[in-house]
Amino acid sequence: MIETVAKLVDTTLCIGCKACEVACQEWNDQEFTTGVFRNTYQTLPDLAPNFWNLIKFSEHDINGEQHWLMAKYQCMHCADAGCIKACPAPGAIVRRPNGIVDFVHENCIGCGYCITGCPFDVPRLSPKTRKVYKCTLCSDRVAAGLEPACIKTCPTNCLTFGSRNDLKFLAEKRAEELRKDGLANAGVYDGPGVGGTNVLYVLKHADRPQDYGLPKDPRIPWTVSLWKGPLKWLGNTVFFGGLLAALVHYIKVGPKEAHDEAEN
Amino acid sequence: MKQRIERFTSTERIAHWMVALSFLYSALTGLALWSHRMFWLAAVFGGGETVRGWHPIGGIVFALLLAFIFRNWAAQMKLDADDRRWLAVSHKYAMNQEEGVPAAGRFNAGQKMLFWLQSSSALLLFASGLVLWFPEWMPRGLRLAAVLLHPVAAVASIGGIIVHIYMTTLVVPGALRAMARGWVTPRWAASHHAKWYRDLDRR
Ligand code: HEM
Ligand code: SF4
Ligand code: SF4
Repeated sequence: MIETVAKLVDTTLCIGCKACEVACQEWNDQEFTTGVFRNTYQTLPDLAPNFWNLIKFSEHDINGEQHWLMAKYQCMHCADAGCIKACPAPGAIVRRPNGIVDFVHENCIGCGYCITGCPFDVPRLSPKTRKVYKCTLCSDRVAAGLEPACIKTCPTNCLTFGSRNDLKFLAEKRAEELRKDGLANAGVYDGPGVGGTNVLYVLKHADRPQDYGLPKDPRIPWTVSLWKGPLKWLGNTVFFGGLLAALVHYIKVGPKEAHDEAEN
Repeated sequence: MKQRIERFTSTERIAHWMVALSFLYSALTGLALWSHRMFWLAAVFGGGETVRGWHPIGGIVFALLLAFIFRNWAAQMKLDADDRRWLAVSHKYAMNQEEGVPAAGRFNAGQKMLFWLQSSSALLLFASGLVLWFPEWMPRGLRLAAVLLHPVAAVASIGGIIVHIYMTTLVVPGALRAMARGWVTPRWAASHHAKWYRDLDRR
């Protein structure tokens, strides 16, 4: 069996250098965009069709202490992926045997359903190509036995690539160390609500992931589940039930014999 | 020559067939995305990207035509006391047991219900369709509502249309000709829309 791969982001070791952002754009051959200056480190405000790896900088007052938090943000490669659930085009989003969720642009029709299905708000629709883009976890590099570009370039050991099981173990150990060092709320963030993500985070404040810009309890939205589940059954019942009912009615009851035939 | 009564004006007929065509196009291209098993429909209409681009345009055409029909017909589609009694015994109408079914005006209560079903689902399809059209500009909450409401309204309207097409082609002989060529015979009018026939006579 092919092992599920993952990356581990130990936010306590991130220095906000943005080398991973650059490496991602370089490797994936994406055009660079001019940043904005708003008196913060957040010079690129959001993910974009040509920008798949973002360091989110946030400042928070936590229990009277000022904290400057940094977290890498990108596709989480969910086990139960909302984007796949939402996508209407067969083969446009695939889960590779190693757990990587990949967009296959030849099959994408550009409807943007995946954007709505994703609990992490990750896919971005390009107005130019009318296709969606996001982190591929460097599926091309991984297939060739290399580690993803962001991991390769990270100067601090904040990022690690490997088998998900190993990384989960490492992450829990690291969180445990941090708790021993007095960070009582340190823990691991890996999206249990979506069956586990293949990006794992070690957070100092695992009780408040939203302060890092990560959703508190990521889940596939209920309207998406309802749409792709019970509604399909209801709809199919109406469509095929309707046709069947018409057929049965025609055979058993038939036309209103025109009181009219003489004149037809 | 047998007597003919005008049932639908040429404007009504042209609008009806245009709305029918645009609905059929919207429904079939929409259904291509309904399930992976129906995606072959996308190939029929020029491929997934073409469907994604043209379905909303077909939908807008449909909505505009329906708005025109709505303006012409809404006043005639109000349900009166007879219509309410008609609905209460609609099972009899469905079983072709016409005794005890109140006489219908120009439209019977079933047709009126279809009119209101199509009008309200078209409004819903239009509003939610705009949200689905431009996901990149829409707030997340609206998109989450639209992905549910658009197909809900589509199911309701397609369900209504299945019944409508079946009734007018197979159950009520003469109805299709009325919408195609515009006329019915006096006996047809007297038997299917007696109140309308009576009122025509009086004029
Ligand atoms: C009124 C204007 C309408 C607009 C602007 C609109 C727009 C859209 C858009 C943007 C989509 C997403 C994918 C695509 O672009 O093809 C969609 C999906 C769909 N539309 Fe429409 N539409 C309209 C009317 C209709 C009508 C009249 C029907 C027929 C009953 C319909 C049935 C559907 C269905 C079944 C889907 C797929 C739903 C799913 O994925 O479960 N739409 N529509
Ligand atoms: S984070 Fe979003 S885009 Fe990535 S796999 Fe999960 S649902 Fe899909
Ligand atoms: S935009 Fe492309 S990948 Fe996303 S749901 Fe639509 S077809 Fe699938």
